[in-house]
Amino acid sequence: MAESYRRSQWSNGLFVLPYLAVFLVLLVFPLVWGAWLSLHKVDLFGPGRFVGLANYGRVLADPVFLQALRNTVVFVLVSVPSLVALGLFLALALNKTTRATSFLRALFFSSSVLSVTIVTLIWRFVFIPGDGLLAVISEQLGIAPVNFLSTSGWSLFSVGVATVWWCLGLPMMLFLAALQQIPSDLYEAAALDNAGPWRVLTRVTLPSIARTIMLVTIIQIVMQFQLFGQAQLMTNGGPNGTSRPLVMYIYEVGFVRWDVGKAAAASEFLFLIILVAAMAQYLVSTRKSEVSE
Amino acid sequence: MSQDQTTYRPEGLTANRTLLTISIILSIVMMAPVAWLVGLSIKDNKELMLGTESVFAFPYTLVNYLNILYSSQAFGWFFNSLVVAVGQTIGVLVLSSLAGYAFARLEFPFRRTIFVIVLFGLAVPEQAVIIARHQMFNWFGLHNSYLGLILPDLSSAFGVFLMTQFFRAIPREIDEAALLDNASPLRIFWKVLLPLTLPAQATLGIFTFLHAWNDYWWPLISATKKEMFTLTIGIASSQTNFAQSEGLGFLSAQAVFASLPVLIVYVIFQRHIVTAVSGGAVK
Amino acid sequence: MRRFLLSTAALVALACSAPAHAETKIELQRFFGACDADYGKVTDVSKAVGECGIITSLVNKFEAENPDIDVNVTTVEWPGYDQLNAQLASGAAPDVVSMHYSAISDYQSRGLIDPVDDILSAEGISPDSFTDAARGGVTKDGQMFGLPFDNWTMLFHINMNLMKQAGLVNADGTPILPKSADELIAQGKQFREKTGKPYLVQILANETAAYARILYTLLQQQKSDFFADPTKIKLDTPEARNAIELMKRIKDEGLSTTGLDYAAAVTAFTHGDGGIAVNGTWLIGDFVAQSEKDGTALAKGYAVYPVPQLYPGQDSTYADGHSWVLPHKDRTPEQTAAIGKLFKFLADNDYEWARTGHLPAVKAVFDKPEFKALPHRESIAKIAETGRSLPGAVQRQFAIQDIIGEEVGAAVNGDKSVDEALSSAESRINDLLANI
Repeated sequence: MAESYRRSQWSNGLFVLPYLAVFLVLLVFPLVWGAWLSLHKVDLFGPGRFVGLANYGRVLADPVFLQALRNTVVFVLVSVPSLVALGLFLALALNKTTRATSFLRALFFSSSVLSVTIVTLIWRFVFIPGDGLLAVISEQLGIAPVNFLSTSGWSLFSVGVATVWWCLGLPMMLFLAALQQIPSDLYEAAALDNAGPWRVLTRVTLPSIARTIMLVTIIQIVMQFQLFGQAQLMTNGGPNGTSRPLVMYIYEVGFVRWDVGKAAAASEFLFLIILVAAMAQYLVSTRKSEVSE
Repeated sequence: MSQDQTTYRPEGLTANRTLLTISIILSIVMMAPVAWLVGLSIKDNKELMLGTESVFAFPYTLVNYLNILYSSQAFGWFFNSLVVAVGQTIGVLVLSSLAGYAFARLEFPFRRTIFVIVLFGLAVPEQAVIIARHQMFNWFGLHNSYLGLILPDLSSAFGVFLMTQFFRAIPREIDEAALLDNASPLRIFWKVLLPLTLPAQATLGIFTFLHAWNDYWWPLISATKKEMFTLTIGIASSQTNFAQSEGLGFLSAQAVFASLPVLIVYVIFQRHIVTAVSGGAVK
Repeated sequence: MRRFLLSTAALVALACSAPAHAETKIELQRFFGACDADYGKVTDVSKAVGECGIITSLVNKFEAENPDIDVNVTTVEWPGYDQLNAQLASGAAPDVVSMHYSAISDYQSRGLIDPVDDILSAEGISPDSFTDAARGGVTKDGQMFGLPFDNWTMLFHINMNLMKQAGLVNADGTPILPKSADELIAQGKQFREKTGKPYLVQILANETAAYARILYTLLQQQKSDFFADPTKIKLDTPEARNAIELMKRIKDEGLSTTGLDYAAAVTAFTHGDGGIAVNGTWLIGDFVAQSEKDGTALAKGYAVYPVPQLYPGQDSTYADGHSWVLPHKDRTPEQTAAIGKLFKFLADNDYEWARTGHLPAVKAVFDKPEFKALPHRESIAKIAETGRSLPGAVQRQFAIQDIIGEEVGAAVNGDKSVDEALSSAESRINDLLANI
């Protein structure tokens, strides 16, 4: 029996079979079917006709798609570094076990367990003009209130604030875990060298968790590229499409305009972008770790 | 090196009191919106109509919460969310553990190839397949069912990747010992290795649960009957058009009510969740 | 254990099948908001105010009168068509759905909704009993595809207390309203100088519908036939430029509230934050209720008029209406009969719905003494003649509305030039229509 452990055997594959079946049916097949749909002029309700790459051309020629793409890239470029920096900061600040710090950790992670709709409800009540928390505060302070959800620039910013608030817990926790795994002799050595806190941070702490930083960045990039609910519920993509992310574009084309072929084509682009982002990050992170090992 | 006995270890920064102060300030900023929501929820809607600054003054009322008790569908939505999240969590744990074990420990034809293909699945966003999936589920009549809500994310490669890493991290000597007893792979998996992965199971379980709990797009287009709404979709359905709707107070109360159960569970299991998530930090 | 399971299964089966014999279930899906907290148990329709309250209590009353019919209501986010599309695509459409006249052609042309002629005739409801506008709204290819419920337009809801302060009231107590674009600006400035408040309360934020409706109105008033060909919009016209420049001027001169979304605009008007709310018929009931209360900004000072004719072309206001349609699906005869009863009930109670402020879809309501006694109906009566919809053959009117709202909004808020916005709107809409 023990043989089967080392020797290649078909029966060992049975362990993988259940997942593989689900994987093929629910991921690979839809992926292929989606690509097939993207070559068709087809609406939500029925069979279509083959149009080749026409849908891709229409997507690329659509200024709204390009705008959504730009919005999403900007959003990722701002939200991901914020999440990584804030998460890292909190992890450093809370990396010890006192009552206060564990309370704070719990607090910062707590927003992650909420549904997106509750998060957006909370933040709409903060940002809405007139009745919102910020409006009430700025009124008290005599500052002219900003219409956060309906001013170009501010609307995407507001979506970003809600997103960072919502997603902050995970990066923090991952960093905390990585910090715990730094061997204490490194710090002892640094202490012997009389290294200052900044030096310890940049020479010991950060290099030791470089891989985690990469990993967190990858996870966040992939996640934030998929921005949808927050934008849809808070700003509905407005004003003038300045906070419409790619996924919302796909949703609108498919389920509002019924143009399923075009939506499928647009989602192939999204797939490609995320694939490239993830691969690039992955390559960088593996190369780095090889160097450090 | 520090005044703080508990923290000889990794923080390395002595300016940690400042850091702590900043985090306390951050936490207040972080909680302000929640306090605002709770404040709105205990005010009478009619008073809020006149201006929300009344949140800062008496009188307060629980009438919005009472209204939920007999008019909101939040209970049903909550139940649906629970079924879906629990179902999906169990499914992912079972599938990922089996596959992770095999990828990490067993040899079978095309193992590497299959693993690489599965890894490739990590980069497939839900959005790339959702439209095709929606059609597929239509063929099989799976929309508006628990199964229809649970199934899609079982295909996520993340769990398999994570469990493979965990199984790899277990020292080989442990299964070698079992091998001497002539145990079958299934037995080694079930009796020897699986118990060791409990922390990993907790981690993956929490990730999966939260993901399922917060999922938005798929339930939005699959659970289209209100009996099948998840909490996320239910709350979304009642949150737009405030003016035509129940008023800020009621909506806030509904949001508070809907988040309470998860928050309570979170507080109770907080310590476990923290260790689990931290344990999940892939080295 | 097995026995336990079996008996449980039997119990469940019993429990599930029992009511199916007793009750016919109708799934009804609508917008108009959710207000179960206030109206969940109300069956006395006369006590209800506003769209949500009235429709909720109407359904309650129908259920109370027909214990054999269970109407299962789902409230969707306005306008709910995304969700309906997802439901239709997944074969899970409800039995009865609220739908704008302007959306019917999308679904009718694709065979997604069923004609209602047979159901209406079975209940003895004659197509002639509806107003021409209502009947026209639901009629496609000679068949009626929905039960018409109302007609609506945008209106000028006026805070007379502020208008007095601004000196914009005639000797007979009626408000002085503009007769041209220039007069609108002049009166707006006068209003702002005297009261320190914006003249118009407009929905300019997170909004597409209001922009589109105002643009359509201003185009119609200039007799611009922007949908001469229902598959192609023409916006690169001097009329469209006039309209948007006027909208922009109103905003730039500070004559309008800015940054208010729908809800905030409604609240702002009831707080007296501006003179005239440009909003739909559906708010009349709510505002009248406000004006009857002492101490409110509208107390004894609410009036409502059609959007004034600002251009010499013709008097016109963009109009639409609500109807109840039946998604295509297999129904039992009991269900069809139940839907017929519901339609009959809704048609019979169209007066109650008209209390919201909407124009009744049922002709007879206009002659009812109660309807005639409703406040302000005189002053808006002419919208029955001046209300104009887009040509019925224009498809995807909601998607078009979104595009127009986005582009016009960008122009009004200065994010785009007027020409840029118009040409972009035109090409986006035509691309949409060319690819149906």
